[in-house]
Amino acid sequence: MALHPDYPLLTARLRLRPFTRGDVDAVHAYRGREDVARYLFDPPLSRDECALAIQQRSTQTGFLEEGDRIVLAVEKRDDEGIVGEVSLIWRSVEARQGELGWIFHPDHHGRGYATEATNAMLDLGFGPADLHRIFARCDARNVPSWRLMERLGMRREAHFREHARFKGEWDEEFYYAILRDEWLSLRHSG
Amino acid sequence: MSSLRLPIETDHLVLRPFERGDLEAVCRYHVLPTVQRYVERPTRYHEDVAKVISIMRDQVELHRPGDTLTLAMVRKGDHALVGQVSLRWSDATASQGELRFAIDPAESGKGYLTQALTALIDLAFDHFRIHRLMVRCDGRSHHSVKLMQKLGLRLEAHYREHALFQGEWDEELHFALLDREWRPSAQVVDLPVRGRVA
Ligand SMILES: CC(C)(COP(=O)(O)OP(=O)(O)OC[C@H]1O[C@@H](n2cnc3c(N)ncnc32)[C@H](O)[C@@H]1OP(=O)(O)O)[C@@H](O)C(=O)NCCC(=O)NCCS
Ligand SMILES: CC(C)(COP(=O)(O)OP(=O)(O)OC[C@H]1O[C@@H](n2cnc3c(N)ncnc32)[C@H](O)[C@@H]1OP(=O)(O)O)[C@@H](O)C(=O)NCCC(=O)NCCS
Repeated sequence: MALHPDYPLLTARLRLRPFTRGDVDAVHAYRGREDVARYLFDPPLSRDECALAIQQRSTQTGFLEEGDRIVLAVEKRDDEGIVGEVSLIWRSVEARQGELGWIFHPDHHGRGYATEATNAMLDLGFGPADLHRIFARCDARNVPSWRLMERLGMRREAHFREHARFKGEWDEEFYYAILRDEWLSLRHSG
Repeated sequence: MSSLRLPIETDHLVLRPFERGDLEAVCRYHVLPTVQRYVERPTRYHEDVAKVISIMRDQVELHRPGDTLTLAMVRKGDHALVGQVSLRWSDATASQGELRFAIDPAESGKGYLTQALTALIDLAFDHFRIHRLMVRCDGRSHHSVKLMQKLGLRLEAHYREHALFQGEWDEELHFALLDREWRPSAQVVDLPVRGRVA
């Protein structure tokens, strides 16, 4: 359903808010890194590319039609710096499908921030956006990412092998998904 | 690549391009809901099937990605058309292909699809140098699942409620097969494979 959330979204430790023009350096600090980009579709971004990306994101804050995406900066509530970003894409209006994404700065890995922020995006997707199913995908070698999906209670639905070329090699990919009912029972059980 | 030689013979079948006179036989299965699920254009009436046959009659070679080869399964002896199989060249960079099939329910359980698909898989890997084949199946079609397993395809994906089909939540399975899995002994032209985690 069409969605224009009130920002910021708050979790126990984090604040999720739209990107602003002042975020270019903070985004470049992680999107410019080779290790962060390793399994991303985009190569490491230059500062100019980050500036352009942020320009686009200033409008990526709500759902109006299929294909729209919400991309949010994640900050600690007690601190200004950006620790990462999360996204939710409206993949199908008719079948109420969404796709979840995340990228965090390596300085802020290992503290559960990605788990906390992506859980907030699931709540947004299944709550106000009224989605039926949310899926996410990652390279099979991206162990931290699929472990994150398992922490979120998502199920592995697909394991594609050599179905495409990715950065000059055979691609191997996982799809994970969670249905609205599964999300509801997770939230009610804990 | 040498040009394709048709028809292809299996033990009990001849796989040949479609002909105008196939209308009657194709109508027996093409309009069924189980078949409609995976066809590119829906067929409800004879006119629709006639149109589909005229398209399939031209699907006799794979020249460029996006092309489909479609063959009628014709029984040796009585020349009855019992079903169809097709191979779509979906991607050139990664040499990907997709198989589809449909059979007249009155002719199922006789091993025809096992034969026809085996021949088409041979053709895909040996002649067209496909690297990976995939097949979509309805998650509730147990016979199709058994057929895939019998042919040695791997279950790669099990989607639940990822789409609506005729107003109901859908369940879809994807099976896949790599060239070297089909013919572990054959010398396949392969690109370097990277290490695996899972
Ligand atoms: C994927 C990615 C976000 C995962 O980061 P992460 O730090 O493993 O995930 P979290 O922030 O949820 O932290 C979980 C870790 O913190 C630990 N942790 C510490 N405090 C925690 C807390 N309060 N709550 C939960 N976990 C906590 C957990 O035990 C876990 O550690 P472990 O993996 O050693 O078991 C990160 O690797 C990344 O940004 N990668 C690069 C970009 C990328 O590939 N994006 C995805 C493309 S598909
Ligand atoms: C499932 C289906 C496609 C199988 O085609 P088929 O020509 O009957 O397949 P085969 O005779 O080669 O049999 C393959 C296996 O399927 C199973 N099977 C197929 N039809 C069966 C039937 N009527 N009863 C029991 N088992 C059957 C058997 O396990 C068989 O293996 P076996 O020979 O070792 O016993 C066909 O029966 C059918 O139901 N078609 C309608 C649905 C359709 O067209 N789907 C296409 C898109 S998924």
